[in-house]
Amino acid sequence: MAVSPFASRSPSVTVSSPNAALRLRAAAAQNASGPLATAKSVHHTDRELTEQLNDDVRRKYVKDKRLGEGTYAIVYLGYLRDKPSSYVAIKKIKVNAEYKDGLTMDAIREVKYLQELSHPNVIALHDVFSSKDQNLNLMLIKEADIHYGVAEVKAWMGMLARGVWFCHENFVLHRDIKPNNLLIASDGEVKLADFGLARSFADPYLNMTHQVITRWYRPPELLYGARQYSGAVDVWSMGMVFAELLLRIPFLAGNTDVDQVTKICEALGTPTEENWPGVSELPNYLPPDTHHPLQGRDFFLRMFPTAGPVGCDLLMSMCTLDPRKRTTAVQALRHSWWTVEPRPTRNEDLPQKPGTKKMGEDLGRRGERSMTGCLKMQRDNWTLVL
Amino acid sequence: MIEDDVYRTSSQYRLWSYTNASLQSLRATTNDVASQRVRAAIQRVGEAHLSATPSTSGTPQPGSDGETRKPDDKKIECLTPEEELVLVTYYCEKTLELGDEYKPPLPTMVRATAIQYLRRFYLTNSPMTYHPKDIMACALFLATKTDNYYMSLRQFAAGVPGGPSEEKVIAPEFLIMQGLRFTFDVRHPFRGLEGGVMELSAIAQGEGQAAPHMPSETPQELQRALLAIAPHPTPSSSIADRIGRAHGATRELLKSAAQMTDVYFLYTPSQIWMAAFLLADRPLAEFYLDTKLGGPLTQTTESNQNNLQNPLYELRTKLLQVISDCAALLHAYTSLSSDPDQMKSLKRIAKKLYHCQNPEKVNLKRDLAQPPASATDSAAASETESERLAKKRKLEEQKRSTNDMFGPELVADRTKH
Repeated sequence: MAVSPFASRSPSVTVSSPNAALRLRAAAAQNASGPLATAKSVHHTDRELTEQLNDDVRRKYVKDKRLGEGTYAIVYLGYLRDKPSSYVAIKKIKVNAEYKDGLTMDAIREVKYLQELSHPNVIALHDVFSSKDQNLNLMLIKEADIHYGVAEVKAWMGMLARGVWFCHENFVLHRDIKPNNLLIASDGEVKLADFGLARSFADPYLNMTHQVITRWYRPPELLYGARQYSGAVDVWSMGMVFAELLLRIPFLAGNTDVDQVTKICEALGTPTEENWPGVSELPNYLPPDTHHPLQGRDFFLRMFPTAGPVGCDLLMSMCTLDPRKRTTAVQALRHSWWTVEPRPTRNEDLPQKPGTKKMGEDLGRRGERSMTGCLKMQRDNWTLVL
Repeated sequence: MIEDDVYRTSSQYRLWSYTNASLQSLRATTNDVASQRVRAAIQRVGEAHLSATPSTSGTPQPGSDGETRKPDDKKIECLTPEEELVLVTYYCEKTLELGDEYKPPLPTMVRATAIQYLRRFYLTNSPMTYHPKDIMACALFLATKTDNYYMSLRQFAAGVPGGPSEEKVIAPEFLIMQGLRFTFDVRHPFRGLEGGVMELSAIAQGEGQAAPHMPSETPQELQRALLAIAPHPTPSSSIADRIGRAHGATRELLKSAAQMTDVYFLYTPSQIWMAAFLLADRPLAEFYLDTKLGGPLTQTTESNQNNLQNPLYELRTKLLQVISDCAALLHAYTSLSSDPDQMKSLKRIAKKLYHCQNPEKVNLKRDLAQPPASATDSAAASETESERLAKKRKLEEQKRSTNDMFGPELVADRTKH
């Protein structure tokens, strides 16, 4: 990976032309909050207007140490040049040599949707700029680790549900919800991150790809190849995250797509025309060899005793096989579990520096694009401030 | 959160919404900056031309066609902001046509997104700096990516008339994204139209729902009111037929006039579709507004017996004014390609552009490889390399063919007549 200009730039360089830097910064600050009506102030330099804006954004940040690397990006710790105590994460998108068609879809999706979504439980994209080798740099904050009970689970799940609800309310499907993509900010807030697979809801009758969502969190309709689906796919993933937080290990960890279907059937019941009308018409539907009955409340109570009956009810509604009967994000938010005892832990009391249990195992499965596999939320060492 | 608040968080509102005055002033500034830079660049090229000596061995010698770039050519006639806009509009029309070159044709949404990309790009970039013919194909390709209409670059490039190389098509992608300030989402009026038509159809079938401000409306009252609206000049066999026709006419306006004018910069998506709907079938559009906001002077209802005025009267009046303004803008649009007078003026502008095209920005790939001019270590380190490249570029520029006014036609003329 090419070294970004940050690495080589010494502070003295910036100081050498303080006037220019200040002028540009002022211009961009105005522009950041509104349309480009203030362009006049910058017109006599030797750069195109858009190039100047880009330079200026880039100059706002100082890149520090490298935090992690994935197949599609490298993440660095960074801070504001003007305010070194304000940490950000800088996500530098790699130029994929294999992909000759310009910027990759991952990067386009991530930038497109994060530019539009502004919510406490969705990672914030502060800026986007290019370095001279035309790599994109997205901005990320510092984080922490954990040790928890059901009140903490309730707090985290509440934040996750609000983030997912907000996406759906804005007609965006995330399509890759999993613990790895849930970052915890230093104030305890959960941030939904990695929008590399996100897209807007399709218009009716238009197809979408079913090759989305990391396998363990992928709902049965996608495993069966459905091309038309809804926010219910994200709700299933949310249910899997919920189960994993309660169990402290992944709930349904299939080795292959077929194995994943088997595990779902064994755990929750076999999809049939009775419990899921239309399921047998899905493209990749395979008639099952054995029939497991639908699991009822007793199973959930045995499996997830800490959640209590009300919590189990919510979990069950998220893990409903038929996506039409599955709960929606907004319904989940109206569930009574949030208001029964125990109350969710307040953000400031959420565990901050937990002993991270590193699994160290690379989840290098197809479609897995994040950092070396951390199966717990607190795993990653940084938070996108994108 | 109400829908308006949601819209205000969009990048379209935050970065790409203007008043008429701020839009004019931004275009004037962009034109001004570009003009200065073009004059300076042409002068530099002229000087380089004069001083071209054997010391540049290894680079091609300038061609013999230097007559258009005399070094003493100090008063270069640059394009005006109005002329730039005509040119951009023409290429927006071309973008719409380019979408027809594919089988199946590209979705309207993808083309509309590409057109808005072009319009946004040229708010801060001048056609004198980057010729729209180089930008439009790439903008359309970028739109296929951002609007989930997957297609390989190879496949896409093959559909572009003139068969540009894949590299040539993709070269300005980064430049465009930068000009778009890395915002790719465009809020179109098409979906709102579909929703409105669905509501009207439901009312026609006696299944209409009361609007939030008019909770006492019944489906029957709504249906009766709809059937009682003033007739459209073109008679229709049924109300469903009339709604269908207004739907089609509105879609057509949204696909053409809404894309080729400044309405996206000046109005919200719902204002735009309502304006187009107003042009398509005024009584129907006003009826629709009335279902939401009440008539201009509503009859007394149970709830406001003491007040003859519609409580939403002011809002309705204001809204209707905004929509009418937007409709006037849409109505004033006529396609450039189908108007001989406008085409004549376009040819003049194109000729003028040939003489004021920034010679340093012709080879896009190269240009982007140039390090930032402002203070960075790396930039300073590679200064000599960039100078060398710049010199080479200038020389190559002078060899550029002189007789094409527009470059090869991107879309065959047959589609225009």
